[in-house]
Amino acid sequence: MEQKTRAYEKIWLVLIMAFFYLPIIYVVFFSFNSSKSLSTFTGFSLQWYEKMFANRTIMESIWYTVSCAVIATVVSTIVGTITAIGLSKSRKTLREAVNQINNLPMLNPDIVTAIGFMLLFTSLRIKTGFTTMVLAHIAFCIPYVILSIMPKLRTLDPNLAEAALDLGCTPFQALWKVIIPQIMPGIISGALIAFSMSFDDFVISLFTTGPGINNISIYVYANVKRVNPTINALSAIIVYVITIVLIIVNVVPMIRERRKKKDEQLQNS
Amino acid sequence: MKKLIEVKNIVKTFGSQVVLKGISLDIYENEFVTLLGPSGCGKTTLLRIIAGFLDPTEGQVMMDGQDIAAIPAYKRDVNTVFQHYALFPHLDVYDNIAFGLKIKKEPKDIIDQKVMRMISLVGLEDFKHRDVTSLSGGQQQRVAIARALVNEPKVLLLDESLSALDKNLRKEMQLELKEIQKEVGITFIFVTHDQEEALTMSDKIVIMKDGEIEQIGTPVQVYNEPVNEYCARFIGDSNIIDGTMVRDRIVRFDDVDYNCVDYGFEENEAVDIVIRPEDIDIVARNKGLINGEVKSVLFKGVHYEVIAETSSGTSKTVTMHITKNSDVDNPEAGEKISASSFYMDLEDVDNLTDSEVIARANAQAWNKEDEFVSLTKVKYDVKNEVGIYPCTFGTDKGTEITVNINVVKPQVIEDESNEEGIQAFDFYKTADEIRESVALDTDLIRWADAYAWNMEDNSRVEIWDVKYDFDDESILEGDYQVTFSTQGRELKIETTDHIEEGERIGLKWNPEDIHVMRKMG
Amino acid sequence: MVYPYIVWAVAMILLPMLMIVLYAFTVKGNSVLTFQFTFDNFVRFFNDPVFPGVLWRSLKMAVITTVICIAVGYPTAYIMAKLKPNSQAMMVLLITLPMWINMLVRTYAWRGILSHLTISGEMKVYIGMLYNFLPFMILQIYTSLSKIDPSLIVAAHDLGADNRQTFLKVILPLSLSGVVSGITLVFLPAVSSFFIPKLLGGGQYVLIGNLIEDYFISTGDWNFGSAISLIMAIIILISMYITRRLDRQIGEEDD
Repeated sequence: MEQKTRAYEKIWLVLIMAFFYLPIIYVVFFSFNSSKSLSTFTGFSLQWYEKMFANRTIMESIWYTVSCAVIATVVSTIVGTITAIGLSKSRKTLREAVNQINNLPMLNPDIVTAIGFMLLFTSLRIKTGFTTMVLAHIAFCIPYVILSIMPKLRTLDPNLAEAALDLGCTPFQALWKVIIPQIMPGIISGALIAFSMSFDDFVISLFTTGPGINNISIYVYANVKRVNPTINALSAIIVYVITIVLIIVNVVPMIRERRKKKDEQLQNS
Repeated sequence: MKKLIEVKNIVKTFGSQVVLKGISLDIYENEFVTLLGPSGCGKTTLLRIIAGFLDPTEGQVMMDGQDIAAIPAYKRDVNTVFQHYALFPHLDVYDNIAFGLKIKKEPKDIIDQKVMRMISLVGLEDFKHRDVTSLSGGQQQRVAIARALVNEPKVLLLDESLSALDKNLRKEMQLELKEIQKEVGITFIFVTHDQEEALTMSDKIVIMKDGEIEQIGTPVQVYNEPVNEYCARFIGDSNIIDGTMVRDRIVRFDDVDYNCVDYGFEENEAVDIVIRPEDIDIVARNKGLINGEVKSVLFKGVHYEVIAETSSGTSKTVTMHITKNSDVDNPEAGEKISASSFYMDLEDVDNLTDSEVIARANAQAWNKEDEFVSLTKVKYDVKNEVGIYPCTFGTDKGTEITVNINVVKPQVIEDESNEEGIQAFDFYKTADEIRESVALDTDLIRWADAYAWNMEDNSRVEIWDVKYDFDDESILEGDYQVTFSTQGRELKIETTDHIEEGERIGLKWNPEDIHVMRKMG
Repeated sequence: MVYPYIVWAVAMILLPMLMIVLYAFTVKGNSVLTFQFTFDNFVRFFNDPVFPGVLWRSLKMAVITTVICIAVGYPTAYIMAKLKPNSQAMMVLLITLPMWINMLVRTYAWRGILSHLTISGEMKVYIGMLYNFLPFMILQIYTSLSKIDPSLIVAAHDLGADNRQTFLKVILPLSLSGVVSGITLVFLPAVSSFFIPKLLGGGQYVLIGNLIEDYFISTGDWNFGSAISLIMAIIILISMYITRRLDRQIGEEDD
């Protein structure tokens, strides 16, 4: 569809981008404010960052968020990968049935999934806390992992597994040495989705966590009533971390590509 | 030679579908065997059963006298080259080839030795550490062969392994594969649908059809002595002719008896006759066994492929009346209308509709802007008997034209010896219509309603030829003859002599060049 | 390899959903063993002077948000699809970047800006919703637009269609599937959203999601809360069904 864009069309795109980035820039900007105000900038200071790092609850919430996300990512990636490989070999009816169940948490509003977990845990007399939150995160992450691996398995050359067996691999070796490396991009993107879903989650965490166990989102939600610029600092730090991570994720492959090309040129000359 | 693999009465079903219907086959050491057949004939299924990727429903596969049913694929002494190579994209050339040896945990220096030997056998020394996805089709093919051979299997299975390559590369690889097989001295089982590939490389060809073996033999045997029409068609270009075995060593087709060397058929048994195109010689008219007319000459590089018609098909000639332009002008309404008279079959009168009448008369009306105006009036009174009936077309604004419908008896010619019938009708056209036609032959067939059929089963037979003696660019009013005919007996001949289309020639062959086969089924 | 997960999925996905249904149809204070079946929770909801209004307001808000997202998102996606391939990738990256940041944090970020403006709480909630859900709509429509084979557009021009006709007869019908999946991604979270009104609406602006939250977290009446969730889930299910039917009908008209 590549066509010429007109000036007003470019202006429109700029406006949309401004809309998307304005609040982020605003939060970062006011995280350096010297006063408590969220509307007038009175001078530069790092006091809110200091206060944030000194705040035990905030530090704890960061710790809970990260550790929950790491556990949920590792478990859901492993379980999701095994299940996806199993599903690719099972009967169509079974595959359809599992897909239908997996669709539930993806299509249901978060709040419905969340109260479902809450009712389940309390009915089973499980005390809500960090464990229940992690369990819930694992449960809603696995379907996304499966969803990102299945297409890779579907487009896999069916002869690859046979070729491995043909060359003397046991079925397990074929899986480990050939299938897993082939679907690695799917596994990695599944893990990334799981991590960001868990890291960003608010609704499900709110309903499945117990007293005293907050993640970042719950902390922000609970403290948003009072004017509290430490939240600006916290938000700003999240923005920094994500920006750095995304730059690395997007730039590293570019550098690697360039190096590879250089290597090939050297080899050829 | 020692028997290496014995396939015993293998049956394979997928659900209700029977893919292999009891295949038995012996394969010897150091043999290049080709399983040849169209897609869906079961050749790949048989290969996968030997490789161990599929279990047979019934029957046994023996290797060195042992049933290998219980041995899983990864323990069998066979290796496979897959159709699309199935190279591991995450490994480079070296690691792909070393894969099997690494799995068997051979010492590193031995692996290195063996892999390097294979790499030089297939000529990929410069590509050792290349990404396999960056290789060309031919190079990937070589890696796949090396990866399989490095494991020193007793049998190498190749599943349509050359089909993904382009034509020139395929020819090159055919020779190379044959060389490699000679050098490593093991059995190759090769699956293909390409008869040329099979003829070039094989020691033994197995022709398969619908899950059964049709013929097993050396390339020379299957080429010269096909057992039936199917094998003859599959192996090489052939003239395959319906005929009758008059008695031993005498065969008849197109009402003429010919000498041959075949015997053992019943008297007057219906048979299929094969004459290979390269066995027919072109001689002067009346100097051969049969006369013919050259229909087409195609240059094929080394030789010419000549099509000669030795007996004509069924034909029907009709008259085309070219009339002057009969457009009716209606200046008051600003409209013009045109239509032409037409002939029609008495049998079609009952089913005549307005739209069909408009179509057959090619009736149309248009205004000053050259836009079509709908015909709201179609008036005709056709009785169910032979005769000429007027027919009037008109528009809302009263622009009208009247033409004739000539109802005639069916115009059919039936040819008993060809067992074909053909029909066509005379028709009216204007010179403009002839000039404006973009596909004149097709239009003539449509205008004359020409149609041919097989009298045995009433199936439709294609109108093969349309002959006329006018020049379509400078045609004038008057009557012209148009002849429609079906395909006659055509023989394909390969010759190195140059010959012109339309030349009248004689054709000759030796009695041993005729190969008589039993009818199939 | 699949069966362990099936056990897990039944326990952690199917069972919770059944629990909601169970709670919605039982009397408060039941222990798990002594169920008492009732319709009261639903009767109470629809007879209440406030709740049906809240439901209606949530639906209205979700529909309007979806319409605005289409109205803003379609032109944006269309312009994006016209850019050079590199700029297209850049735009996709720019739109995806903020989505990596926590939705709650991004919504919070609007509070400061909106405090400068004197607009109603409702307007602020709309801005928050548009901000959160517009990227989904743009990306969905963009994906379906970028999948259109450029030769189709050339073919349309070749067959005499001008730019407007090409857009209406070729591009628009082919991109409708993107609009439909965009609707799913916007409408569904918009109906159930509860922190956007809470953070930006100043606490006065209550939607159905806030009701559910209140009944679970503050009031502790889980049976009634479950009934409200069930009502919401059913309404969402019906809207999804209608959307899919529309999608299919559009598809059929094309044929």
